[in-house]
Amino acid sequence: MRKLKLSMGILAIVFATLTVASCKDAKKEQNNEEEHQSEMSTEENHSEMNHDNSDGHHDEEATHDNSDGHHDGDSAEMTSEARDIAVSTQKNGATSAIIDAYFQIKNALVTDSKENAAKGGTALLAAFSKFDMKTLTDGTRQEYMEIAESAKEQAEHIVENPIDHQREHFETLSTDINDLITLLGTDKTLYLDYCPMKKVSWLSETKDIKNPFYGSEMLTCGNVKKQIN
Amino acid sequence: MLKSKLTKMKIVKIIVLVLLVAFVGIQFVPTERNQSDVVPKTDFMLVNDVPKEIENKLQVSCYDCHSNNTAYPWYNKIQPVAWFMEDHIKKGKEELNFNEWADYSDRRKKSKLKSIISQIKDDEMPLSSYTLIHKDASFSEDDKKKVITWLTQLKDN
Repeated sequence: MRKLKLSMGILAIVFATLTVASCKDAKKEQNNEEEHQSEMSTEENHSEMNHDNSDGHHDEEATHDNSDGHHDGDSAEMTSEARDIAVSTQKNGATSAIIDAYFQIKNALVTDSKENAAKGGTALLAAFSKFDMKTLTDGTRQEYMEIAESAKEQAEHIVENPIDHQREHFETLSTDINDLITLLGTDKTLYLDYCPMKKVSWLSETKDIKNPFYGSEMLTCGNVKKQIN
Repeated sequence: MLKSKLTKMKIVKIIVLVLLVAFVGIQFVPTERNQSDVVPKTDFMLVNDVPKEIENKLQVSCYDCHSNNTAYPWYNKIQPVAWFMEDHIKKGKEELNFNEWADYSDRRKKSKLKSIISQIKDDEMPLSSYTLIHKDASFSEDDKKKVITWLTQLKDN
């Protein structure tokens, strides 16, 4: 009986501290929140100012990107005409490591290997971090950074996700890498392939179609849209 | 016999006590709360012309983890629930923050929209652990269709 009383007592004390603690917490939190709010509002003013700056900047980028989007649309429409037309770009070896890592992902997806695609993702991240931005001109740096930011994000997702997810991010990654090549060039001979089922393009180092979006399911589905170099 | 039963009871009591003390103890560990009264100019709803219905759905279903302001439930005051949520919100905002939409480059906006659409389409977002408690956050087939159609339009423009 005494023991029961004792444990009841302990429980009561525990509850008391708990409620006191949470009350305190709540009060503290309120205070914190108030402080936080005032902080936030000053911060906000600050960032708004910054935003104005970056906004102006963004508009510039936006028009830039739009023209790009337009371009993409055009090339999709021109598919039939553009076929079998070889396009030569600037001979630039600096992009090779990035393109090789991209192919590592592509070839892994062709063989339905999630693990190898993830390895390719890691390789792509490494290739981007090794890329020497000093070689870029002021005109190309901004666009390169946007492409790299997006491509790295896709690569991170490819590293940690199941294969259907990897393929989704590979779609966006293909656009990024294609834009990168348009921007900086390559010394490799490449093929821009088109998947009519997905309505997306991908790059390949071989002329034969090996579709990475469906793997063994639909390996030879697609066509060569253009040859680069 | 009686003696060993008594010692067993004692051990159980000690364990319960330790657990209780630990539970009380972790209540004092502070967590970062994701709350803000200000909607920045860069917010998705402010820079896009979003129909009311779509706006409501996105606010209710996405903004708790993908913006700077979470509508916390009462039990978030209790650990370890608060930790679990803190982690989720941090990751969610890293991936996508609707409040910072206008700061994303056009390339990024497009790829984000693509991901949002596919996540909703495949029922991967909102997370099932979230909709379990927030019933109003889940997407009906009709919601899905409307939201996806609108987002696709935005993406392709």
